[in-house]
Amino acid sequence: MTDRAKILIVDDDPDFTESLACFLEARGHRVMRASDSDRGVELARSCRPEAVVMDVMMRERTEGFFAIQEIRRIPELADVPVFAVSAIYTAEPTFTIAPEAGWLAHDEFFRKPVDLDELALRIEARIADRREQEEARLP
Amino acid sequence: MDESRPETVVVIDDDRAIRLSCEKILVRSGYEVACFENGALGLEAVADRKPALVLVDLKMPGISGLEVIARVREIDPTAVVIVITGYASIESAVDAMKAGAYDFLPKPFSPDELRLVVGRGLEKRRLVQEARRGELERELLKRRFVTFVSHQLKSPLVAVHQYLEVLKRLGDTDEVRPKREMWLDRCLERTDELTSIIEDWLTLASLEQASFSRTREVVDVRSTIRKLVEGYEGTAAERSVALNADLPASPCPVSGDPTCLAVLFDNLIVNAIRYNRPGGSVTVRAECRPGEVVVSVADTGIGIPESCLPLLFDEFFRVGGRGEGSSGTGLGLPISRRIATEHGGVIDVQSVEGSGSTFTVRLPRHELEGAPDVAGADTALEEMSLP
Repeated sequence: MTDRAKILIVDDDPDFTESLACFLEARGHRVMRASDSDRGVELARSCRPEAVVMDVMMRERTEGFFAIQEIRRIPELADVPVFAVSAIYTAEPTFTIAPEAGWLAHDEFFRKPVDLDELALRIEARIADRREQEEARLP
Repeated sequence: MDESRPETVVVIDDDRAIRLSCEKILVRSGYEVACFENGALGLEAVADRKPALVLVDLKMPGISGLEVIARVREIDPTAVVIVITGYASIESAVDAMKAGAYDFLPKPFSPDELRLVVGRGLEKRRLVQEARRGELERELLKRRFVTFVSHQLKSPLVAVHQYLEVLKRLGDTDEVRPKREMWLDRCLERTDELTSIIEDWLTLASLEQASFSRTREVVDVRSTIRKLVEGYEGTAAERSVALNADLPASPCPVSGDPTCLAVLFDNLIVNAIRYNRPGGSVTVRAECRPGEVVVSVADTGIGIPESCLPLLFDEFFRVGGRGEGSSGTGLGLPISRRIATEHGGVIDVQSVEGSGSTFTVRLPRHELEGAPDVAGADTALEEMSLP
């Protein structure tokens, strides 16, 4: 298991955030919560999470996508793994987007209700990868 | 489309006498008319002016009538094409219809015949356009419904599912144990939310079918309001909101379904309490004016942003960020509007963001035909309203 990681959840449904946060905390992670995208971007900027879970259909439709873009503009977070979640989907978008896909490069999509194990495993795997890459970059 | 603008008719005929008489007759009937002596000029005008209807002579030098028909249909498929010809024969008529003409006018024709054929063509066009608009509206509603189902119905379900799953798996851990009671309460609240959304949705659906409109009684809205205000006194007090009824001494008779009318005012009063502030007030006022009964519900609440006002009565619309834990279903106001409309009335809102909103319902006043009759109905309602 990945060592204690900082994870940010941005979702306008406090109940979804509460249950997911507790699940991740029980796995030893530190979780920050934001109930809208402005607060989410603010928290990302000040706390530098290692992974972000973002509801992409909040009060304003697609608000979450703009928040992801904003977060990516923060230089330290340009490659932070983002897990887009939504209860609204038409087909099964099992997309892990190719690295060349611009600002969505590091996103994965999970539909709500999320498969808790799967999401936790993916978050931990991505965080471990990123930590490894960072270490390799150190002189 | 602007209904008041006259419809444009283009006439393409090489016979000057026909052009002149068509113009004279059609202008007198209120159409805007443009006449051309050959297909090339006529088609240019069709592309330019987008007429509602085109009259085409089948036998013309240059571009043939049949070709003109086909090109007009290409330029604007909604334009109605009517064929004029001196060689009225089955074959030419069939060919013209195949090319996309809607009707046929054999030469010579009387002014009445021309008016009849043109009127019939334009009527058909209107019907097609209306059908298309209706289709579009249904399509939009369907799409809106999909979003509504996904968001409003799925959100509570997702929340409950997620709680239950974490409870099932980690219910006995130190992290989750202290939260169990709270989470279970939240699950119950969210399922209640789901129930009220579904109930409101069903109410709205039954109103769409207007199944209630057959129930007509004389209702004194004073007693409806009195009952509602009594019922909500507790809720208002809990939120430190003063709830007042300002009712006249004489009856406010309206003809309608008493249950629906109660729902109409109920929604307005609930909103006024819900979107208020501690120490605020709600005033429900009824007035009997010549020809109408006016009921207003005024609150000193948080108000509604001006940009939201036009959408306020739309299904599924909710003003974002109104109050903590506001549990509205987004269907209350559409239901109220629907009921007001079904009763021949209107509902309107005036709001200043930050200082409050006033919803006003105007309903046709029930005109008293036999005074004893209505007095009787009124007394009956008064009696019913007594606790």
